[in-house]
Amino acid sequence: MENIVEVSHLVKKYPAGNSFFTALNNINIAFNEGEFAGLVGPSGSGKTTLLNIIGTLDKSTEGSVTVLNKSVNNLTQVQAAQLRKHKIGFIFQSYNLLPVYTVFENVEFPLLLLNLSAEERKKRVLETIEWVGLSQKINSRPPQLSGGESQRVSVARAMVKRPQLVLADEPTANLDTENSHHILKTMKKLNEELKTCFLFATHDEKVISYLKRIIRLEDGQVVKDEKVMQ
Amino acid sequence: MKLFKLTIRNILANGLKTWLTVFVLSIAFMLIIFMQGMMQGWDRQAIYDTIKWEIAGGQYWSAAYDPYDPFTLDSAAALIPSELQSADKKGLLEPILIAIGTIFPSGRSMSVLIKGISPGQQLLALPATLLESQPDSEVIPAIIGTGMARQSGLKKGDEVILRWRDANGTFEAQDIQITGIFKTFVSSVDNGQIWISIESLQKMLLKPGNATIMIKSKNIKAEQIDGWAFKSDEELTQSLREMLQTKKVGQSIFYIIFLLLGLLAVFDTQTLGVFRRQREIGTFIALGMTKKEVVHLFTIEGAINAVLAILLGAIYGIPVCLYYAINGIPMPSGSSDFGITIPDKIYPFFSLNLIMVSIVFMIIITALVSYLPARKIARMNPADAIKGKVQ
Repeated sequence: MENIVEVSHLVKKYPAGNSFFTALNNINIAFNEGEFAGLVGPSGSGKTTLLNIIGTLDKSTEGSVTVLNKSVNNLTQVQAAQLRKHKIGFIFQSYNLLPVYTVFENVEFPLLLLNLSAEERKKRVLETIEWVGLSQKINSRPPQLSGGESQRVSVARAMVKRPQLVLADEPTANLDTENSHHILKTMKKLNEELKTCFLFATHDEKVISYLKRIIRLEDGQVVKDEKVMQ
Repeated sequence: MKLFKLTIRNILANGLKTWLTVFVLSIAFMLIIFMQGMMQGWDRQAIYDTIKWEIAGGQYWSAAYDPYDPFTLDSAAALIPSELQSADKKGLLEPILIAIGTIFPSGRSMSVLIKGISPGQQLLALPATLLESQPDSEVIPAIIGTGMARQSGLKKGDEVILRWRDANGTFEAQDIQITGIFKTFVSSVDNGQIWISIESLQKMLLKPGNATIMIKSKNIKAEQIDGWAFKSDEELTQSLREMLQTKKVGQSIFYIIFLLLGLLAVFDTQTLGVFRRQREIGTFIALGMTKKEVVHLFTIEGAINAVLAILLGAIYGIPVCLYYAINGIPMPSGSSDFGITIPDKIYPFFSLNLIMVSIVFMIIITALVSYLPARKIARMNPADAIKGKVQ
């Protein structure tokens, strides 16, 4: 299996007053195609920071990170944007849907950036919305949706361009149990059908129960990396 | 093109929010144009009124006439040259005789400039017909401006003694009656002046056929006349234009204040709007837009908002501006007591230059106040922008 993400000797430090706070310390980790893995740990353990660096939204202080055969340390801003646009999907804790767009328009947005034809966009958007079971809400706007529905739109938006890697930061943090399971089942199904690598940052037990691989982080270091037999 | 399409989509998707922003921007925009138009109109009116009340198509000055030296007025009068007498008879030239005198309103003495003009004159806006003598009346009819009426305390119908010195140096005096009080924006035909019939003044001064200056109609050409110097309306309004030019510095301060007030609205709607959309900017970046594209997106959005504001402003602004440009803006009574001459009505003037400069300025400023916050947010760590962390 091909490595989608390779992290080697990664260090991330933030300035804190006159010194530095080390958020990640010597992280060595790799993820393969089709993985359903999670970075698990308490708040401040560095899981979101690691996810952001892999997603090219943040830069490492030391070490190397290779995402889809591209060394993200050396990417220009434009190259990083290209990588995110074509290959990486994001799911955020607070959904980050565009409030004035309809469900259709929110899901369509990444395809607009890819300059696909209107016909192709419509086909893909409708198909993706159907996957997440929101065909009835296609013309609704985010304020009219429940938390669960909003997160499903967020999943559809991340998946519509068929990315090779989806990064989900606390995707169930704002959801109740039923919606959490619904969303996780949807993601697991997409992972199995499309072989998309899902990488979570979470401390939610419900998410952990779905993961095939759990990487435990504490104080910026990997303390455990285990495959889960299901 | 992709960014433009996205911008249009954003603007349309924002619906009512877009229109509220555009409405506020259009009000700011219209205010800026209207206030500046009012100032320009005021300046323009000053020149227009001066020509209407004092200059017409230009003036011939007798060689000895110096408007800044009243003591030379006695010797400044000269016979109306024969070359101009036919024009005078046709009403295309109006002689004015000027002398120094004194009136004694309410027992006090007041120096005045006595100006004689034909009651039938049509070249100036002065209501000279009120100078027609009544048969069997010894009293000389006179008209004064509202400024002079205020200074002297004279009212219509009042009689007052006028004293003058004739060509022989003899002081004479006679009653004059105020037959009319005219209202003018031009203080140089009002303050300290009394207008009577030229025929009466020529008799009083013992200077028949004399004039100090002659007003020319716009319908005849200026000629070179010996002993008389022709002053065109351009020359005669030169000092006024220079004064207005100097005033423009002060006006630009007003313009800047109006602009700043307008920009407060622009700043509020655009800048705060962009800051409120911080998470959106972070999300755009996460979804694959470059920081540059995001900044361009918001800048184009701001510029389009400005264009929409201009169009909306034009819909309600053009009729409003036209109405006031035609009918004038009434000034409150007593506004002339402010220390500056303010007409009863100010007619705003909206020059193409003013409109074009304001349009370009407005688009640039609106785009700029969208660009700056968008750039600031786009420079943030996208991970922070996504979470809406204010920096």
